[in-house]
Formats: sequence, structure tokens, C-alpha cells
Amino acid sequence: MLPVAARYAGSRVQRVEDPRLLTGQGTFVDDVVRPGMLHACFVRSPLARARILSIDVSRALELDGVAAVFVAGDLNPDVREPWFSTTGKDVPDTPRPPLAEGEVRFVGDPVAVVIARNRYVAEDAADLVDVEFEPLPAFASYTDANGANERIHDGYAANVAGQMGGGNGDKVRAACETAAHVVSETIYQQAYAAVPMETRGLVVEWAGGELTMWAATQASHEVRAVASRLLGLAENRIRVVARDTGGGFGQKTLPLREEMCLMLLARRVPAAVKWIEDRRENLIGAGSARHEHGTATMAFDADARILAVAIDHVQDVGAYPTPWPVGVAAATGLLFPGPYRVPLADWSTTTVFSNTVGRTAYRGPWQYETVAREMMLDIAARRIGIDPVELRRRNMLGADDMPYANPNWMTYDHMAPIQVFDKAIELIDYESFRHDQEVARSEGRYLGIGTSSYVEPTTAAMNHYGSEGATIRIEPSGAVNVYLAGGSTGNSLETAAVQLAADALGADIADVNTIQGDTALTPFGAGTGGSRSGSMIAGAVAVTAQILRERIIAIAAHRLEAAPEDIELADSRASVRGTPAKSLTLEEIARIAYLDLGSLPPDTPAGLEASGRYRAEAPVIWANATHVCTCQVEAETGRVTILRYVVSEDCGPMINPNIVEGQIAGGTVQGIGGALFEHLAYDADGNPVSSTFVDYLMPTMAEVPLIEYGHIETPGPGAGGYKGVGEGGAIGAPPAVINAVADALSPLGVTITRLPLNPAAVVALITEARG
Amino acid sequence: MKPAPFTYHAPTDLDEAVELLSELGDDVKVLAGGQSLVPMLALRLTAFDHLVDVGRIDELRGIRADGDALWIGAMTTQASVERSSIAAGAVPLLSRATPLIGHFQIRNRGTVGGSVAHADPAAEYPAVAVTLDADLETISVRGRRTIPARDFFLGTWTTQLADDELLVGIRFPVWAGRTGFAVEEMAQRHGDFALAGATVAIALEGQTITRCSIGLFGLGSTPLRAPVDGLVGARPADVAGKEIGDAAVAALDGVPSDIHASGEYRTRVGAVMVARAWASAVEEAGRG
Repeated sequence: MLPVAARYAGSRVQRVEDPRLLTGQGTFVDDVVRPGMLHACFVRSPLARARILSIDVSRALELDGVAAVFVAGDLNPDVREPWFSTTGKDVPDTPRPPLAEGEVRFVGDPVAVVIARNRYVAEDAADLVDVEFEPLPAFASYTDANGANERIHDGYAANVAGQMGGGNGDKVRAACETAAHVVSETIYQQAYAAVPMETRGLVVEWAGGELTMWAATQASHEVRAVASRLLGLAENRIRVVARDTGGGFGQKTLPLREEMCLMLLARRVPAAVKWIEDRRENLIGAGSARHEHGTATMAFDADARILAVAIDHVQDVGAYPTPWPVGVAAATGLLFPGPYRVPLADWSTTTVFSNTVGRTAYRGPWQYETVAREMMLDIAARRIGIDPVELRRRNMLGADDMPYANPNWMTYDHMAPIQVFDKAIELIDYESFRHDQEVARSEGRYLGIGTSSYVEPTTAAMNHYGSEGATIRIEPSGAVNVYLAGGSTGNSLETAAVQLAADALGADIADVNTIQGDTALTPFGAGTGGSRSGSMIAGAVAVTAQILRERIIAIAAHRLEAAPEDIELADSRASVRGTPAKSLTLEEIARIAYLDLGSLPPDTPAGLEASGRYRAEAPVIWANATHVCTCQVEAETGRVTILRYVVSEDCGPMINPNIVEGQIAGGTVQGIGGALFEHLAYDADGNPVSSTFVDYLMPTMAEVPLIEYGHIETPGPGAGGYKGVGEGGAIGAPPAVINAVADALSPLGVTITRLPLNPAAVVALITEARG
Repeated sequence: MKPAPFTYHAPTDLDEAVELLSELGDDVKVLAGGQSLVPMLALRLTAFDHLVDVGRIDELRGIRADGDALWIGAMTTQASVERSSIAAGAVPLLSRATPLIGHFQIRNRGTVGGSVAHADPAAEYPAVAVTLDADLETISVRGRRTIPARDFFLGTWTTQLADDELLVGIRFPVWAGRTGFAVEEMAQRHGDFALAGATVAIALEGQTITRCSIGLFGLGSTPLRAPVDGLVGARPADVAGKEIGDAAVAALDGVPSDIHASGEYRTRVGAVMVARAWASAVEEAGRG
């Protein structure tokens, strides 16, 4: 009997990371201990904006156990080239000094860094650094900063970091004049943030002219590249190791200012230095996201078909955004038409500085386009007097429409939005919910349902994201090791790599291991970001495994005296088709390749090791999804209880449905947080007021329902047809939840245009509607 | 997020503890379960030269009937109260308030005395103590004293306890007869401090209210007792919960306002919580 070919991809393989993570044997950056290691603590600005008159570090240096204190004058002049691969060398990036120079621009701005024998002493010493500030008027609000004469950064008039637009304003206005229905609202989204379970952290060690860093990062190779540019040190003198990282969600895509300081001071301290960001630092200093508003306009004909859409978008990027925020804002404008048949569109976006923490990447950084569009569609449906599901059905694109160029010249392909939408509506059983809702309303209970649909450009191939490498070594024992840049922050890249490599080599999955995250061992790669890892790892493993597959088959064919085309690989064994008794194990083949070279066929090289590099086949791979949320709203208290939550998505074939669903669930919970709970708030003076978990509220398992999934699998234009799924949950969830609440409260005449909907906000909306 | 240096003391009996508190003057803090104090120290919101951990003093632990009251030692954990059938039978309000405190991990460490002495105005146990007119037993080198709960709380995180004084235990009166007890709170998430909360205790004879008490928390700088004028002697069927709720919050001032909710919201929802707790307490008493 022939061995059945293993097919691990597509099945719910248990995660290979879990045994170590669930037994506390993971290695996170804070688990790294080096001989004589010292600890860093930053001195941070207590003021939103102030001139630094003087810094006196003498009292701090006198404290027993303090090794050094650095200020801007010590570190900043060492910076050679401060640019990121995503933005490139030539874009005039926004300012990002390692330590504040002359002026502090938000509460939490790092002013000095103390190095001491442990973190306790470092914090004691940080309290002893005397900084004399002269307060300056601060812009806590980006809307106040926008257009103001007073400048947060020299060289940025009106506090605008950049503006972009589509230039179709006149055409859209003309379309609105003759449209049967025109709906326009300003939709505001509050600041919230990634808040990874593991905060940021870095250990740096300079020894023998080489820099070694242990990092909590999504992209070790980018950390290495940044250090190389920053210090003017060749990449082959720098090693970055990231074993386990406890969540990143974009925040750990790029080294921020504190990490730059660690890189810069490494050469000045005669021991390794560890910096572990604490939770308060994370909440005040690791970056904000989502803070923006926009005026959205939609014009419809008498049949509720979309004639034109426009979004005028303004985003807050705080004082020191990372990466360059202007380009990301363009995606918000370009994607605003979403999965709909939109003949005409316009967009503009304005990126504004404020005296708050800088904007950093967060899972679907352009997500506001979906928030604004999907909230607007529900508002429009109520104004027009049409069911919101029917409104979407009339306008949504389907598989038959592909490829489809949206009016902003984004060409969608390999998607089936209406099929995905219909599946979601079927799973939630829309008609019967509407019936339940009617019954509930007659009893004075407010039930609501909301949907949200989006298209998502995953696996974008720009710059360093366009390729991914793999090295596969089959050791002399037949054990397989797959080397990948990785960048897993919990997103199961090890499991995915092992599944894919086992399939590609015909190996038993138990024989396959993977090593990721160490730049000294792994090929260059861009890490986790842009929902790229699944597709790109699949490509890298496929092109590399193919080299070894051919060699394994050549050896087996030679030894088994069969034609290469008759050799089958499965379960770590090469067999002759139709003659299963004639076979060699992978171990036997590996032994030949390394130890019994005389048995190799002529012209077959020794060893079973190969490297390959996959280049993305398309500039972007489109994924899409529909979220549906049902909820109950208690009008007296404003409490929103989510009843059911369905996500129907199309990320192509799934490497592992468990991983896909885990990604969707995680993102969805973050989006629920954004809709109902999370708020990185500042007071009018620019003081952060949600700097601990007492005030920064994330949803817990008590607030989140079981999420139900629907999968549509339209293959994309890349390896295995896989598409990205990392970010979508966080994009789709907020408007689905908001629309559900708005639907629940629609009998009261409530219109929702602001997030988050905490209980007090819900009660205020009801009170306002009742007049 | 590391505390400033402190000296840690762990006395094993009451005498040693009060001696330490007396000697160390005003730069000492009693450490109970640490669920509020330790994060505040770690955030350097507060700092003390000395911490006296009273967790090893057996006399501070226990739940037992004591005449017409239930005595609970200050260092008894919230989890112990949650599991105690004696507490559930004698002081149902205390038992019912317990699961609303944080999460089970917090209740495994958090103590009854710690919660009361910390005096967070939005916390459950101080409100229960005030609602039931509990007596707080304290000790210092100057001797023992009993402080009525209604006099104990002075403001947010401030109480009648002197710097050298230790809370030993709390006597919760046991209400006899046909009684009903309820606690209701509005928190944004399960386990959060209440935005507004209410406790109701009621006793009936026949169809007449013979005793009742309404507590409010999260609605001022201390837990509060709402006026109950005209309720004793009335029949529950003749009074509307909504009116009781509205009356309970009518005279409030200084209701806290923050990023989570305005004072106006808290007041309004406080009335709703009173009405709900009232309905549930009346229902229970009526069954008795």
C-alpha cells in the first residue's frame, strides 16, 4: 500500500509553540540575563510641552549602584542615519530624536536615561535627576493644533505633517447636487493603542566590536538594520535575537526612541544593559493609534445605489509618530470606497501633530476608512428608509465583478465580498433576529444588529516587504530545521512554517523544527506586519523545499533504481510508486548525503541544505470579511452587552484554521475594545489620564462573546493562494459593534458619530435624543 | 514601576505589631493583602519608609458568630468570606457583595480589613459596613477602641485610623426576622470599581417595613447612607422603587466625575441601582 501523502496545511494542527509557552518555558526579552547586566530607566517629561532649561544629573550619579546617566547631548550626536526600511532613505521623515533636545513635546517624552545595577535603583536615581522646565503652551488636542500659528515642530507650519488628496471634490459635489439622497456626517474615533501583553524591551550588549541585542520585536532584521544605520556599524557586526514576543500588533514593528537610546548607549557602558518598559510607560510612551475624525459624504440614487463617496480625514499623530504617518493616511482615503460599487470618489487627509504621545502602527493602521464608511452606511440606510443589509446588497461587489478598479485606482481581485457577506447574514440568521428584536422592543428591551464589511490589502510587496527567504537544513539524522526571519508575536509562525515545510518535503511533521527571529541564523526578512507572514513564509518555504525535494528524489531514485518521476515523498520516506517495499527513509537519504558520499548519484551535491528567496507575485493580495454583531442595550445604565458575534472572511485557503480563527478573534476583541472600552485619554493640559489598567479598560473574557466564524476560500495570487488575515479583525469590529448599538437605539432617534460608546456616552446619546 | 526603598516588617503577634507601628511613627504603613497598596507603591504614587505586613498574625483571621453579630478578622481574605457558609447565613449582604470585588485572583489575596481600611469610596465592603452599621475594632499601644462604620470613613482613602492604629476585626450585626438584602452596581467591566452602586437591607413584620437601610458607593468621597424617611412603618407594596432611588440620590453633592462617567451619570445610575436593589431586597424579605 502506498503511503498517503501527508497534508498538514489546511488542518487544525496543534501549535508547536504551545508546550513551551503554556509551561512557562518561553524566552521573552525579560528572561534574558547577561553577566554583570545593568538596567535602564528613562526620566520622562511631566509636562506636555516645555523648554528644558537645565538637567542636573549629579544627585543621581551619587546614588550607590548608578553606573551612568545620559542626556540628549550624550546620545543624539551619535546618530548617523535614522531611517526605516518601510519609509526609505529619501522621504523627509518626521522628527524622532532619541532623547528630547531643548524641548519636551508630550508627557512621557524621554529626557534622560539612567543606567544602574537594577531597575529599583535606576528608578530611585531617575527621581534624582533634576530637570528644570519652562512650561510652554501645549496642544493637547490635534484639532486645536491644526492650523495654529504656534508650532510643535520647527518646519511644520500649522502643525501639519502632510496633506494628500484625490482631487475629485468638484465632481463629487456635482454628483451630490443631483442625487436622490445625500448623507454627510463627521465621524470621530478616540485614541486607543496596541497594549501588548508583553511591553517593549531590549537588552543590548557591546563586546569585541560587535553589538548583540535581544529584542521584543516583530522584525529582528529591521531592528538590526536600524541599529546599523543609527550607529554606522556594519550589519555583520550586529546580531538581534528574538525568541518569544508577547504581542506586538504593530507597536513592535519598528524600534522607537527608547530602543534607539539603548542602541546608542550600548557602546558607552561596559556591560549588557536591559530596558523593560513598564505598563505605565507603555500606556504613556509606546504610542497611540486610531485618533482621527473625518467628514464623510455619500450620495445615492433613488434606488439607494451609491453615486459618489468622499472622506475629508484629519488624523492626530502626536509629537513623534513612527513610522512616517502621511503615507498611511493616504491608504485611509484610497480604501474608503470599500467593497462597494462606487463610480466616483474623493478623499483628502491631513496629518496633524499634537503634544501627545506619537502615533504608532496598530493592526490595520488605515482602519478608520471602514469605521467611517460602515457607520455612514447604517446612518444612510435609516435616513433613506431602507434595511441596512439590503442597502449593502444593492451596492456590494461580488466574485463576478473581479477584477474591479475602485474609483481611487485600487484594483481589487481574488475576492467575493457579497458571498462573504451573505454567509455572515446566514450565520447570524438575520430574519429571525429581526423578529426577536421586534418582540423585545414590544417589551421595552433594546436589541440591535450591526454589520461591517471591508476589503483589506494584505501582503503588500513594497520595499523590503517584497521578498522572504528561507533556509532548510535536513541534518545528517534526517531531522529538518527551517530557518526563517519569523517575527512571531504569538501569531503562530512556527506552527505555520512546520506545517508548510512538512508538506513541501513530504516529511513527518514530528521531524520538522523551525528556528526564527535570530538574525545570525536566519535569512533577511521583513518580519510580521501588513498581514504578510502566511503568504510570504509559504512562498519562501516552497521555493527552498523544492531544491531539496529534487535532491532527495535524485538520491532515492538512484539508490532504488527507479525513475525520479516515480519517487513519492511522504511521512519522511521516499518510495517507488507501485512498489512500496522499495523505499528509503529521510534518515537514510540524509545519511547518504552527508556520510556516505560514495552512494550519491553523479552530479548530486553532498548535503541536504538549501536557501531560497521568494518574491511576491502581486503588489498586494486582497482579503475581505464581514462582521456581524448583535447586542442588547440597557437604556437606563447605558450598558451594552454583546449577544452574538459572527465573522465571515475570505483569507484564501487556510494554512491552519485554528491560527486563522485565533487571528480573527484577537483582532475582533481589540476592535470591540475600541468600540466600547479603550480610550487613551488626555486632559485639557495634555496629561494622560488612562496611564494604568484602572483607567485604560480592555475587554476581558467576561465582556466578549464566543466568536463564530464563516470561511470562504478564494485563492489569492501568491504561494498556495494564501492571503493575509492578521489585521482584519481589528478593522472590522468597531463599526459592527457601533452599528449594533445604533440599531438597538434607533427607535429613540439616536445617531452615533463618536467613539467609544462607554455607558455614560450611551446614556448621553439617549438623553440628547429624547430632548 | 518599582517601589521606592522600604523596610519590611512581619510581626507575628498583635503586641509586636502595635509596638512597631508606634515606634515607626508616621512613616509606616500597614500591609494587608496588598491589592491596592502594592500597585500604588510600585507606581510611586505613595512611598513609606516602613511596611508592616500583618499577614502572619493569627488573631487577625477568622469568621465567627459573636452574640448578635458576625465577627470577621481584618486579615480574613475576601475569598474566605466568599466560601463561608457562616457569613452567607448571618450577613448575606457581605457574601453577595464579595464576588463584585475585582477578580478571584484579587480576592484570594485581598482582605476584609484591607478593603475597609483602604477606604476607596467605590469599594463594596466599606458600603456594606456602613449600610449595616458595623463596628470596627482597632488596637494601638494606647489600647483598643471600637469605631462605628458610619463615623470611620472621612474621605477618599482616609479614615479615623491613626497612623499607629491597626484594624483588628469587624462586627457585622446580624438582622433577625424576615429580611432581604441586595447589592447592585454598575461597573464598565466585570470586576471594575463601581461607577455607582447601592446596597439595601430591609426587615419586614407582616406586610410592614420595620427596619431598612440604603447604602451608596461610588457616589461621593465616602460610602454613604441614603435617607430612608417614611419607609419604616410603610408597606413595600405602597412605595415605588423608582421613587426610593430618586430620593436616595436627591441630596447628593460632590459626586465624582472622571473620564469614565460624569457625576450626573453616576447620580442617575445610582438611583437605578437603588431601585433595583430595593426591588430585590423586598422580594427576598417577602419570601422569608
